[in-house]
Amino acid sequence: MAKIYIDERELEVAEGTTILKAAESAGLQIPHLCYHKAFIPEGSCRMCLVEIEGLPKLELACSTQVRDGMKITTTSESVVEARKGVLECLLAEHPIDCPICDKAGECKLQDYYDEYGLFDSEFDENKEKRQKRIEIGKNLLHDQERCVLCRRCVRFLGEVTKTHELGVFQRGVRAEVSIYDGILVDNNYSGNLAEICPVGAITDKDFRFKARTWFLQSRESICPLCSRGCNIYVESHQGFSRFSLPKRVYRIRTRENQMINGFWICDKGRYDYAYLDQERLDEIRMRNSQGSVTWPEITSHIAGEIGRLYHMKRAAHIGLILQTWLTNEEFFLLDKIFRNDVNIDKISFLDPAEEASDDFLLTSERTPNKRGAKELGFDLQPADWKKFFEDVDLLFVFASPIQDGLDVGPLKEALEKIDTKILFATHNHEINSSFDIVLPMSLIAEKGGSLTNIVGSVQNFSPALDAPGECRPAWQFFIELAKKLAINFDFYNQFSSMDDVREMMKKENPFFREVH
Amino acid sequence: MSDWIIILIKIICALVWFLVIALYLTWVERKESAVIQDRIGANRANIWKFRVIGLFQPFADAIKMLFKEDFTPRFSRKFLHNLAPFVSFFFVAITVSAIPFGDVLRIGGREIKLQIVDFNVSLLFVMAMLSLGIYGIILAGWSSNNRYTLLGGMRGAAQLISYEVALGLSLIGLIMVYPSLKLSAIVHYQGELLWGWIPKWGVFLQPLGLLIFFFAALAETKRVPFDLPEGENEIVGFFTEYSGLKWGLFMFTDFMEVLIIACLLTTLFFGGWQVPWLYADGFHFPWGGQWLLPHGIVVAFQVLAFNLKVFFFCWLQVLIRWTYPRFRYDQVMDLGWKLLVPLSLINIAGTAILLSLLG
Amino acid sequence: MIKALGNFIAIIKGSLLTTRHFMVNMWFHTLKLLRIKTKRKGAVTIQYPEEKREIASRHRSLHRLLKRDDGKPRCVACMLCVTVCPSECIFVEATEDPDPEIQKSPSSFIIDLSRCCFCGFCVEACPEDAIRMDTGQIEFAEYTRDRLIYDLEKLTE
Repeated sequence: MAKIYIDERELEVAEGTTILKAAESAGLQIPHLCYHKAFIPEGSCRMCLVEIEGLPKLELACSTQVRDGMKITTTSESVVEARKGVLECLLAEHPIDCPICDKAGECKLQDYYDEYGLFDSEFDENKEKRQKRIEIGKNLLHDQERCVLCRRCVRFLGEVTKTHELGVFQRGVRAEVSIYDGILVDNNYSGNLAEICPVGAITDKDFRFKARTWFLQSRESICPLCSRGCNIYVESHQGFSRFSLPKRVYRIRTRENQMINGFWICDKGRYDYAYLDQERLDEIRMRNSQGSVTWPEITSHIAGEIGRLYHMKRAAHIGLILQTWLTNEEFFLLDKIFRNDVNIDKISFLDPAEEASDDFLLTSERTPNKRGAKELGFDLQPADWKKFFEDVDLLFVFASPIQDGLDVGPLKEALEKIDTKILFATHNHEINSSFDIVLPMSLIAEKGGSLTNIVGSVQNFSPALDAPGECRPAWQFFIELAKKLAINFDFYNQFSSMDDVREMMKKENPFFREVH
Repeated sequence: MSDWIIILIKIICALVWFLVIALYLTWVERKESAVIQDRIGANRANIWKFRVIGLFQPFADAIKMLFKEDFTPRFSRKFLHNLAPFVSFFFVAITVSAIPFGDVLRIGGREIKLQIVDFNVSLLFVMAMLSLGIYGIILAGWSSNNRYTLLGGMRGAAQLISYEVALGLSLIGLIMVYPSLKLSAIVHYQGELLWGWIPKWGVFLQPLGLLIFFFAALAETKRVPFDLPEGENEIVGFFTEYSGLKWGLFMFTDFMEVLIIACLLTTLFFGGWQVPWLYADGFHFPWGGQWLLPHGIVVAFQVLAFNLKVFFFCWLQVLIRWTYPRFRYDQVMDLGWKLLVPLSLINIAGTAILLSLLG
Repeated sequence: MIKALGNFIAIIKGSLLTTRHFMVNMWFHTLKLLRIKTKRKGAVTIQYPEEKREIASRHRSLHRLLKRDDGKPRCVACMLCVTVCPSECIFVEATEDPDPEIQKSPSSFIIDLSRCCFCGFCVEACPEDAIRMDTGQIEFAEYTRDRLIYDLEKLTE
């Protein structure tokens, strides 16, 4: 351990830590552009200069390691003067076109310009004209005027994806980041480039000019598109009071979690968010019903259907088809209600087909909670459908947003023979019309709960969006249903929130006690 | 036969005079208030772009009121609700029959009194009719079947009855001085001279009586310093449930009352149609000079003098309406019962003592 | 008693004041009627639709969007006006401009004047001097609310 002093504050940090990390651990911000936690410090932007007692020149905070007894000043006059100088040189070529830059609002250079900048440049010369719109990837555009040559993008492609599509060409004032021979950046993690760019040099075509960052509300969630469980921010626009917007979610950003996804998410998780807004099912549909049906009515109705079969000792005629888009808590409740209380054994899983994984984050499972279902004792093997559909009078289907796999042959045929078919869906889909009752469900981003990822990490999450229309999280419905069923009323009556269910689940199943 | 025709002509002339002047009082009110407040006033009403300083405004108002929905609330007493504005209007309009506009006009050997009916008790008649006007207010307030209009009606009735007392008492001194209840006789008495040169007008003989009468009469008109029964823009009052022409009738009644009060002031205290030193054959000045005039000119002078005096008092009342803020209700009652009534009693006593001393 | 007398005098003084106003104004009105020119007028009224008061140079009137030399709006859809607008009456939708030097331009720019409070913050916030409130136009009342919603076309006129 080394004892250092930063701005007269005494700190104990491990030997070998850089000054910048030490300062950040103490909550002190040192300006920097090129430094990123994920990469080896490069020291090219020179914004992080600090004064170290006993050294004649200013040193780089991002790459200088601490020594015992080091006395560091981050706000002295010479440091501020140096930062101003560095900033002036950066801004000598930077166009400061913040009004049309998508990074504005979350741009580091903009922040430092605001803090230290010379608002009237002392350069007489005009700024160098460069290309402002170069396509460097299938989703990426590069603005060479804005680029400050921090090389974060080059390092990302070198150190993380190891695909090396970008490089710095030319020297001196003509230096520029570019692709080799027109080969576009095309890997499954290219979206991260726009996010790590400290300025607006690399912009995302998907988000380009769609919304200003300060209108967006960032809320934490977990990506449900594969079983990795990457941590994300869902950024939604609250809209304006007089003008309605076409969608709620404008982009997905990564959330750091060293245990799961580090600093990155894949392009699938980043760009495939349209399902959050498109074609959402937001009302209860019941065949042959006049007017609208409310949740309490439909819950009573379903409870009545189950109860009827249960009391006639015909529970074996209830079938349950699941997809692993439910949270641990919901599986827990399903297990309790259908297997414990009603005691049915016709439970089968009909997950979307597995797809190719890559060797980094994206897994082959395209549902978020296979492992959780497994840990709760569900058998994930697809059933023998012919046998399964024999003597089914009441069928429940819990569909994934994509509803992949649901329209496959055996199910569609079998549906016609079943008396009562109930679908729990999130989106409008052609198969919805084959069911008697279609209940709108909240998506993962709209509810709270926990998911178990492919390696068995249990992660809690809370709602990032408000559920549209009549959508409800499944766990809420399960509790209501169980209370109406009244087979084990007292057990379910103790659940008033998600947390109650979670605590009970932890108590009963030790696997879920450790949460990441 | 010809008597009837003459009476009919007199009624028509008097009513036309009365209604036209009252109609134009609305214009006077708008314009005078504007001039007082450095404004221009209503000047937009026009016929083929001829604006004529807004003289068409009363007609525009009348047309507007005619075409407005005549709304009778569902919960009102329909018959009485409809009757009320007419009651108000009628009892004010009928007083004009007792007002002397001039002395006598002699045409072709026939003497025509310039007064519709010359009662023996015309003063009492006028007072009685003005008092009956209260019924219009009470009816309006009550028949609207709305608590607030009822309260407004009650306020109006209380105020008018209170001031009725002062109004009546203030005139007793006058009747003592001019021993008659006949308005034409009172005017004739005022033609005499005091000490040979001052006309024997009420204003000189009954200054306190004039003051009390004027205040009480102002309160009777229910206009601004005393507009507690209904302050159109602040106080919910007795004609809240009226609209269109019936509402207009109430407003019009107010203006007719102003005109009647001006007529009464003129007749009782300012010599009516009398012009100082003008006699039936012309002017006889106190310093000995005289200017003899033909009969027609003399009558014209008299009618003109009456009109001018009436106009002045109309102007004065409008001025007062646009000068003073509204009284509080307790102030209204204080003024009526604690000041005007005692003062009028003092006036009666004083007049009696003076008369008995002077023999 | 003295107080009552004072009150009475005050009442008389009040009516004398209004009488003076009446007399003086009437005098000038009469002179005007007789076509005698005077410096002072009988009334301070401005006869609005015919006579108009001159609008002050900093008066905030109807908005307009300035145009570039080639007729395109100067607005770059930075949405600072949207951000700063206290009554949330501006709505801008951005689109990619074919000119890489401009890059961003508004595909729709809507001001809901029925909601606008004419604070002028949008003008203050605009980094491109693209919106101004200097048209001097103050008569834009309409019979329906939706005609008060001004779009890009109406604003660039």
